Amino acid sequence: MATAEAASRIVDGLKQAGIDFVVAVPDINMLEILRKLEQDPDIEYTPVGREEEGIGVCTGGHLTGHRTAIFMQNGGLMNSCNGLTTTALQFGIPILLMVYYAGHLGDSAFHMLGLVTEPVLRALDIKHQVLTDAARVQEQIAQASTLAEAAKRPVALLMTRAVL
Amino acid sequence: MNRMEALEAIKDMVSDELVVTTAGSATSDWHVVHPSDGQLQAKTLGLCSSIGLGLAIGQPDRRVIVLDGDGALWMNLSSLGTIGWKRPRNLVHICMDNGNYESSGGTPTASSARMNFAAVARGAGIESAVEADNPADFAAAVKHALSSDGPHFIWCRISGSRAKAPPFPMDELENKYRFIRFVEKTTGKTILQQSQVASQLH
Repeated sequence: MATAEAASRIVDGLKQAGIDFVVAVPDINMLEILRKLEQDPDIEYTPVGREEEGIGVCTGGHLTGHRTAIFMQNGGLMNSCNGLTTTALQFGIPILLMVYYAGHLGDSAFHMLGLVTEPVLRALDIKHQVLTDAARVQEQIAQASTLAEAAKRPVALLMTRAVL
Repeated sequence: MNRMEALEAIKDMVSDELVVTTAGSATSDWHVVHPSDGQLQAKTLGLCSSIGLGLAIGQPDRRVIVLDGDGALWMNLSSLGTIGWKRPRNLVHICMDNGNYESSGGTPTASSARMNFAAVARGAGIESAVEADNPADFAAAVKHALSSDGPHFIWCRISGSRAKAPPFPMDELENKYRFIRFVEKTTGKTILQQSQVASQLH
């Protein structure tokens, strides 16, 4: 579970990057972040039942002038592959993908997901970074959001437990 | 009632509403009866309702019409739960149900058997969920939805027969840019702007 300090760092980073529209499917490791986002008056927050829905909701958010992000586990990233391809990439929609990296080094749960996550992102041609240093998280969020908006594409940040 | 007859019955009620049309013939049919830059084609089967929800949340002072299909909605039924939870007052979700995957060769969908989409929508928390199977009832349901707070869901049951509309004449990028310019023009918002080049900031 993310500490309060880690959650504040990430939520503040999103707001500093201009993100005002967030969609999420929960993972226990992001719980504190999602609680904060839900309560934040500057964030339009939508919980969805399945991650691919979120790609659609973020698309509508972008088309009406918002900067969007989606929080999900990497299993949800797999659930979203068609929406990412035939909506986000095909229409050129910027979305910051904030992905909990289950099955990464040191995480025994969902190890197969951990193995395939980065190869799948590479195959989709979605630029990504693994977040491992809490001190750099806000800078990396700002950079990823800038790139997503300029390139009009999704960009992914994979959150390890070290930053949560 | 086929889809074209249903769309003809409502086209004059639509002015500056944002309209998302599902992947398949609903996109080309709606473009024929109501050509406008305020139409966005969905390309991912199922995501039409979710894109519409995002538009409705993102632009709460503007009505959003979703022209969904039965195959698409069956694929993304969870979107009904999300709409029922968020309850956007400006969302009008229409499911044009012909009971089959028309664009994929006519294989039946669940609604060809016992699936009642209006009941599912009501169960998901969308209280204003009605059914129409003729142009007069459909037009009355849409008129009501466009003049009262939603979210509204309209289960429009149509026959499998279809008119042959020419293909939608835009690719996804042109459609997106025209749609965003339509939102800008009709809301006064600035959405597309050249960002300051970060590499020149220092």
